[in-house]
Amino acid sequence: MVAIAIAAATLAALLAGCGSSSPEPVARSIRTIGAHPDITVEEVTGGHLSVQQEAAIAMERTKNPGPGGDLQPLHAEDFVKPVAEYRRYSEREAKAVQRHVESLQGDIAAGDVGAAKRDWLDAYDHYLRLGAAYGALGTLDEQIDGNSGRLPDGVHDPDFTGLHRIEMGLWTGEPTAGLRSPAAYLARRVAHLQVAVRRIAISPLTYATRAHEILEDAQRDMLSGVDAPWSGAGLRATVDSLAATEFVVRTLKPLLNGRGSTVEPVENELARFRAVVDSVRREHGGAWPALGALTQCQRERVDGSLGALLQRLDDVPGALEVKRTKPYPTIAEQRRERQ
Amino acid sequence: MSEIDRRSFLKRAGGVGLGGIAAGYGLGAATTANASESEAEMAGRVNAAELADRRDFDGVHQAGILTPAASFATFLALDSICGGRAELMGALQTISSRARELTRGGAFPVEEYDAPPADSGTLGPVIAPDGLTVTIAFGASLFDGRYGLAARKPAHLTAMSAFPHDDLDPARTGGDVLLQIAAGHQDTVAHAVRELARPVRAELAPRWTMAGAVGAQRGPSPHSSRRNHFGFRDGTSDPDVTDPKVMDRLVWAERGGAEPAWTADGTYQVVRTIRMHVEFWDRVGLHEQEEMIGRKRDTGAPLGGTGEFENPRFDLDPRGERIALDAHIRLANPREPATIDQRILRRAWNYSQGLDPAGQLDVGLLFVAFNQNIQRQFTAIQERLNNEPMIDYVTPEGGGYFFAPAAARHPSDWVGSPLFA
Ligand code: HEM
Repeated sequence: MVAIAIAAATLAALLAGCGSSSPEPVARSIRTIGAHPDITVEEVTGGHLSVQQEAAIAMERTKNPGPGGDLQPLHAEDFVKPVAEYRRYSEREAKAVQRHVESLQGDIAAGDVGAAKRDWLDAYDHYLRLGAAYGALGTLDEQIDGNSGRLPDGVHDPDFTGLHRIEMGLWTGEPTAGLRSPAAYLARRVAHLQVAVRRIAISPLTYATRAHEILEDAQRDMLSGVDAPWSGAGLRATVDSLAATEFVVRTLKPLLNGRGSTVEPVENELARFRAVVDSVRREHGGAWPALGALTQCQRERVDGSLGALLQRLDDVPGALEVKRTKPYPTIAEQRRERQ
Repeated sequence: MSEIDRRSFLKRAGGVGLGGIAAGYGLGAATTANASESEAEMAGRVNAAELADRRDFDGVHQAGILTPAASFATFLALDSICGGRAELMGALQTISSRARELTRGGAFPVEEYDAPPADSGTLGPVIAPDGLTVTIAFGASLFDGRYGLAARKPAHLTAMSAFPHDDLDPARTGGDVLLQIAAGHQDTVAHAVRELARPVRAELAPRWTMAGAVGAQRGPSPHSSRRNHFGFRDGTSDPDVTDPKVMDRLVWAERGGAEPAWTADGTYQVVRTIRMHVEFWDRVGLHEQEEMIGRKRDTGAPLGGTGEFENPRFDLDPRGERIALDAHIRLANPREPATIDQRILRRAWNYSQGLDPAGQLDVGLLFVAFNQNIQRQFTAIQERLNNEPMIDYVTPEGGGYFFAPAAARHPSDWVGSPLFA
C-alpha cells in the first residue's frame, strides 16, 4: 500500500515538474563492500551478514541452486511462441518501413523536402520499432541505419549511405537531386528487410536480452543525440524503442508470470515512462519535439524515468534463464586434468 | 639514476602511499614513523618527497614512456598554424625548453611588477617538479606538404581511421603535435598545460585536450594495479619495461629498413579516448562482467586463478571453459608464439568530463599504447577486439596516432631536432 502511494507520488512529480517540486526520496538499500586492506567491513549495508558471509552465500547460490533456491531454468520450447509473435510483428514493421521509404524516394524525386522529412521520420520510426537497432541484422542494419562515426572518412565517406545520409541532406538543406541515388540505394536495401527479419535466428537468450537492451541502446545512442543528429529525432526514436520493448515484454509475460516478482515492476515502469514521454509531447502541442527543444526539466524527467525503467528491465533476462551458469574449472583443476 | 631505478627508490621512499598505509605495507625505514614523528609530520614528509621527485627531460628516450603511469595526465593536441618551417622549429624548441624548466622545477623571477607575471603562479613561487614528464609526439598531419616533411614521415604513421564500432569526433581526433603531460598531482599537470601553451599561441593552436587520473593505490600490495571505471584492475599484464631487449623488440622504432634514420629511439604512440557506458555496465551481472574481461573483478586474477599476476594459461583451456574465447584478455593477448610480437606497452588513465546530453556520466578510459609498429601491434589487437562482447559498453570517440621521437640529448637540444636536421 505504502509502496503504491510512493509510486503514485513519484509519478505525479515526474509528470509535473522538476527542481523544487521533486519527489520525496525513496529509501533503497545499497550494498557496499569495502576493499581497503586496513578496513574490515563488518556488515554489508542493508543486511546483517558480513561481506564474507554474503560472498559465500552468493557463491553457493551459483554453484548449487537447490530446488527451493533459484528458479528452475526454462526450456527453449517455451520461447517458440513469443519469438513467433515477435517475428510477425517485425514483418509488419518491415513492410511499413518499405512503404515509407518508397514514398520518401518519390518525395525526393519530386523535390518536396517537407514531405520527404515526414516520410523519413516515419520510415525511421518503423525501423526502430523492429527493435532491429539491437544488432541482429548485421550488415543490412549498417547499410540502412549506419552512422558516419564508424567510417574512416566520416560523413564524407562513400560508405556513408542509408537513412542517416538522407537525414543529413534533408536537414542541412542539401539539394534533393544529390539525394536521389542514396534514396535509391536505401530502397534497394530495405527491399530485403522483410525476408531478413523472417530469417533472423533468435535464441531464447537473445530474445530475453532484447527486452532489456533495445532501450539500453536508445539511452546510449538516441537520447544522447548521437544517432539522429540532424533531425534531432532522439526522443521520438526512444519512444519507438519503447514500443518495441513493450511488445517484447508483452510476448514474454506468460513466461514471466509466476517467476518471482519481475512482471509488475517492469510494467509499472513501462507505464510510467510512457506517461512521462506522453506528457512531454503534450507540452509541445502534440508533436514530438526535437531533442534540442526539450527544456532542462523535460530532459531530466525523460532521462530519470528511462533510467529507472532500465534498472527494472535488467531483471527480465535473469528471470528467464534457460540454463544455469556453470561454475568454471580452476587453473589447478585443468592442470591436473592434463596429467 | 635511470628512470626506473628512481621509481623503485621513490617507492621505498613512500611514493605509493601516505602515512599509516605506507607504514602498513612495510616499505622500510624511509616511511616508518619514528617514535618522535606524528602521522601528520610523516604525511607531510612523504608529500614533500613526492613533490621533489624529478625526472630528466633530456636523455636517450623521452620520459613518460617507460615511466609508470603518473597519477594525473593531460593530453593536449595542437595544430600547427605556423607559416613556415623555421617558425615551426622555433615553436618546438620553445616547447622543449619550457618543458625542461618545468620538469626541473625551481623559483621563477618576477621581472617587472607592472607586467603580467612570467608564471601563472598556481603552484606558488617555487615550482616543485612532482615527477612531471612532458612527452612530445607528432601526428601524421604534420608530415603533409606544409613544412617539407612529407619524405621524412615515420614508416608506420598514418591518421587514425575509425574501427567499426568507433564514433570518432573529428574535432577530438588527430592533431599535428601531441603533448602528454603527466605528474604526481593534478595542479602540477594543469599548471604545465597552461605554461606550455602560453609561449606558442601564435604557432600551435590547441585542437583537443583530455585529462585523466589513475586511482589511488588501495592495495592489497603496493604492486596491485589500479582500477578503471568498470571496477577492474587495469595494467596487470604489460611487457617488462626493465628489459631493454623486450623494449627494442616491442617499443622503440626499428633501425634501418623503411624507418627514416631520425626516428631512432622514438616510438609510436596510440591514443584512444574511449567512452565507457557505466550506467549500462552497472546493470550487468558480475559473472557476465568477469566473463567479458576474463578476470575476477576484485583480485584481478585470471578466471580460475588466484593471484593478479598469475598466467591465465589459455593453453590449458583450449575450448574456453574457464576463460571465454572472446574474453577481452584472451583476444587482446592470446599468448601464442604468433602474437608475441604484437604486444604493446599500455598506459591508461580514467577520465570524467561531466554528463552527456542524455544525463549519463561522460566517463571513460584514456587509453595509450606505445609500440614499434602500429599496424603489426595495435591494429592487429584492435581488429581482434572489434567484436568482443565488451564493445557494447564502450565507444571510442577520439584520439590519434602519433610518433614520439627520441629525447633531447642535452639541455640545448630539443625534441624533434633530428627531423629537421
Ligand atoms: C575502455 C576500454 C577498455 C577497457 C575497460 C579495458 C580493460 C582491460 C582490463 C580490465 C584488462 C585486464 C588487466 C590488464 O592486464 O591490464 C585489459 C587488458 C588488456 N587490454 Fe584492455 N581495455 C580496454 C581497451 C583496450 C584496447 C582499445 C586495447 C587495444 C587495442 C586493449 C588491449 C589490452 C591488452 C593488450 C591487455 C593485456 C592482455 C594480456 O596481456 O593479458 N584494451 N584491458
